[in-house]
Parts: sequence; C-alpha cells; structure tokens
Amino acid sequence: MAAGMIKKTFLAPLGKDNPVFVQILGICSTLAVTNKLENTMVMTLGVMFTTALSSWTLSVMRKWIPSRIRMMVETMIIATYVIIVDIALKAFYPEMWKQLGPYVGLIITNCIVMGRIEAFALQNKPMLSLVDGLASGMGYAYVLLVIAFFRELLGTGTLWGYQILGSWWTNWSIMIMPPGGFFMLAIFIWIVREAVFKEGTK
Amino acid sequence: MNDILFPLAVFFAAVFTNNILLTNYLGMCSFLSVSKELETSAGLGIAVTFVMATTTAINWVVYHFLLVPFQLEYLRFIVFIIIIAAFVQLIEMVIERYSEGLYFALGIFLPLITVNCAILGASLFMVIREYSFMTSFFFGFGSGLGWLIAILAMAGIRQRLRTAKIPLGLDGPGISLIIAGFMAMAFMGFNGMITIS
Amino acid sequence: MKTQSFYAKRIQPLMFMALVTIACILVTAALHLSTLERVQINEQFFLWRSVLDAAAISHDGQPNSVATLFQDMVETYENQYVVETEDGTTRYVVERTGPGLWGPITIMIGFNDDLKTLAGISIVSQSETPGLGARIEERWFTSQFAGKQGPFRMVEEGTADAPEEIDAITGATITSESVKNIMNRVTAESGNISREQ
Repeated sequence: MAAGMIKKTFLAPLGKDNPVFVQILGICSTLAVTNKLENTMVMTLGVMFTTALSSWTLSVMRKWIPSRIRMMVETMIIATYVIIVDIALKAFYPEMWKQLGPYVGLIITNCIVMGRIEAFALQNKPMLSLVDGLASGMGYAYVLLVIAFFRELLGTGTLWGYQILGSWWTNWSIMIMPPGGFFMLAIFIWIVREAVFKEGTK
Repeated sequence: MNDILFPLAVFFAAVFTNNILLTNYLGMCSFLSVSKELETSAGLGIAVTFVMATTTAINWVVYHFLLVPFQLEYLRFIVFIIIIAAFVQLIEMVIERYSEGLYFALGIFLPLITVNCAILGASLFMVIREYSFMTSFFFGFGSGLGWLIAILAMAGIRQRLRTAKIPLGLDGPGISLIIAGFMAMAFMGFNGMITIS
Repeated sequence: MKTQSFYAKRIQPLMFMALVTIACILVTAALHLSTLERVQINEQFFLWRSVLDAAAISHDGQPNSVATLFQDMVETYENQYVVETEDGTTRYVVERTGPGLWGPITIMIGFNDDLKTLAGISIVSQSETPGLGARIEERWFTSQFAGKQGPFRMVEEGTADAPEEIDAITGATITSESVKNIMNRVTAESGNISREQ
C-alpha cells in the first residue's frame, strides 16, 4: 500500500502532472540559463535539491507551524536551502557559480518549490513529501534539459561544451538568444499537448 | 561615463534593450497567467513597477549598510526576500486603510508580487553588478517599467487573438510563449539605442 | 482564557518564527564559515590563472600546477605583473576595468617584451547576460587578441580577416564594443607601462 502510494506520487509529476507543461510553473529562474546544457544541469539539480528538502522539512514541521506566519516560515526554509546550494557551488564549483550569477538565488521565487509545499507537503507525511518534491524537481529538470539540449546543439553546434556538429553546420544564433528559449518551450509544450493530452481526452 | 548619465543609461537599457522579462525570463509566472485582460495587466504592472523600484532601493541600503559591514553577504537571499514580503504586506495594510479605491484596484495583485521572480531578480542583479544607490533605483524602476510595457503589449495582443483559431495544443500558454518570443525579437531591435562608453 | 488566546495569537507565532530564523542562520553561518578558506583559495586560483592566461603561459588548469607556475615565473608589483618566460623573454600583465553593458568588466591584459604586441587577454570578472555578453569569457573570443596590436575594430561574428578586426559576439553588440574600448585604451597607452620597478 505504502509502496504503491510512493510510486504513484513519484510518477505523477513526471507525466500527466508535470509542473512545466501542465501548470507552466517555475520557468522563470532556469529558462535564462538553458542556452548551455551544463548550466541547466546544475541549475535543475539545485532546484531538485531545494524542492525535495524544503518539502521534507516543512512536512516534518507542519503540525507546529502557526497558520498566520506559514508563508514566512516557508520562505525562510526555502531561502536557507538555496543559500546552501549557493555556498556549496561557490566553494566546490566556482566556475559554474560565476556563470550562473544571480540565477541560483532566484530558485527561491521558483513557483514549483512553494507550490509543492502548499499543495502537498503541508498535508502529507515527510517521506511522501520528499518523494513528491524530488519527482516534481525531476519532472521540471527533464523538460528544461530537453530544451537546453536543442538550444545548445542548434545554437552553437556543441553539447556540454564539446563540438558535435562539424563545420558544415551554420549556428542558429537565434537559439542561444532570448527568443530561442521562448520558441523552444512553446514548441515543446505544443508537441507534448498534441501527443499526450489529445489521446487522454478520447 | 559620468554619475548622472550612467543611471539613465541603465534605466533605458532595463526598459528596452534588456527587458527583464524578455531577455532574462523573470516574472514569467504572473506574466502568463495575468495577461489575459488589459485592465488587470495594467494594475499588476503598476504595482510591480512601484514595488520593484522601492525594494531595490531599500535592499541596496540594507545590503551596503548592514550586510557588508558585518560580512553577512551570504545571507542576502533571506534578507532580500523577507524585506520584499514585509514591504508588500506593509503597502497592502496602508492602502487598505487610506484608499479604498486603490485597494480594490491593486490589492488583489499584491500577494502575487512577493513571488514575482523579477523583483528579487532586480535586487540580486544590483548586487552582482555593483551599482550605486542612484543606479540601483533607476535600474529597479526601469525593470518594472519594462515589465509593465511587456505585459501590456502581451495583454493587447492576447485580446486580439481571442477569436483566432489556434491549434489545440498551442492554445493558452503555448501561443503566449510564441508571442513573447516575437516580442523578444522585436525588442532586440532597440539594440544600439544605448551606447555606454 | 484570554491570556492563553493572546499567547496563541501573538507570542507563539513570534517565538516560532524567531526559532526558525535562528536555526536557519546558524546552519548557513556554519556552512559559510567552514567553506570560507576554500572560497579564498578559489579566488586566488582564478587570479593566478588569469595572469598566466594573459601572459600566454600554457598550463593544465590544475590548481597545484597553476600555483607552481605562478610562483616560479611571476613577480607581483603594485599595478602590474612581470612574467619571465622559459625562453628568457619578459611579458607584462596589467589589469584594466571599464564599463560594460550592465556592470564593470575587468580584463587581465598581457603584453610582449615590446609593450605593443598583445600576448593574450583573459576576463577576470564581468556581469553580462549569460549566453550573450558573458561569452566574452570564452576562449575563441579572447584568443583573437593574441599577437595583435591595437587599435581594434569589431566586425560581425565570423567575418574578421584583417589584423585589426575582431569578431564581435552576435546579440551582444554593446558588450563587444565595451571590450574593444577597454582594449583600445590600454593598447594606446601601453608605452606608459614601465619596465623598471
């Protein structure tokens, strides 16, 4: 029973309840760095870490939080985990830290983190909330990684910084510029909705 | 670049050439969900502009006079977000008491603002770019104004599109993102308007 | 009864918030202090590496070898670094800062013995847009300056032929121009760099 519950909680955000293409949540902070696969990977790992652990922490605390200051406590906990990510990057991966600049801090305002806490963690047990947070982060991560994959490949002919496409390839500069992010996300949402959700409604 | 012109250049850069929404994708959540109606968009945009300009200035003072002297820079995320949340709460209380009309016009948007990435983003950018107080204020103000212009344009276009035939999968957020992409391209046309030397 | 509800309404939330705040700050402070030394080592490593890059000294990017190379070859003076290469020539490295689109850009600039030809450059710090202006840090861009003498001219990406032409970055015209301005200023006054210390 419990195992089935965990499996269900884990799979939902990866498919039909994906936070990005169903709810269009939380693209603010990360879309800006999707012109490089490596940056996107680090950012989405940071988001996964923050969503999972802040969901868990607040679920543990849920019985004691006075409802009047709920939002303040949530913000505080989220901000603490984001600072942990920031300090860890600064100490152990300084080059990435320099490149990401202010975007790490913006994980705080990522709607997914707060959204999962409000919608799930405050009503459920800690372990289940941890799984839900992690899965939501992963559902978010793979969408952005797909976008980053195409943006980096088409925009610069490289992947993870390594040259993939030969000299015959003309770089689509628009892809690494801001409009490219909007177009890629729109196309991705379009394909997924046409393919998955149309069949679902039949 | 002298002290008077630089804040102005940053202001215009933030409004046009490097619009915080269209080049940094900040504030997308409320941008996509609120831009259905022109009037509500204008209300939210004005509230964002006001909060952004003020909190960027307040955060500058707190950062440079409290956090830096005590070497607490690493706490800036917590401090900034709490200041923004507290400021929004304060504004809500003030306008609720003194201006009923304004409260009904802007009040419902204020809770949305705390979680608007663009506002925290403006404060974080101002720290990383080492702006002076004046520049920070104009940067916050300009970013807010740029956000207002973007959401107004978007709401106008979406109102026009209401009767258009859109593929099922693109309806809603998909088409908005495509419009935003075209707007971003259009705003790139402003490049070269500002030269900082 | 009354005091209890007052407690539940006012005191308890305050106490709770205070507790959470103290716990959060303790955790982050502990983490910050424990990594402080590492962060300083990183910063020193970046500085040393950019001096070596600017002087066109090849290295494998490992912290240990960069430190050894730096200590063997480089003399640090008040406003410049003097690098003695293995083949006996001397290179002079200076640091220059100029305004970028968003904030200051700091570049380490290395000159050959003649104080005219550039040995290389490397970007120390910048806060330009990631993926656009921030690409000035990439090697294909910085390596264009090696072996050339100013003044330079920015041309469209991928079209540079003549020695004074430098490929600009598409979509980051202003940042490219800023780098050019810094470079042209430093090459114009490179004669002022003193060989004597």
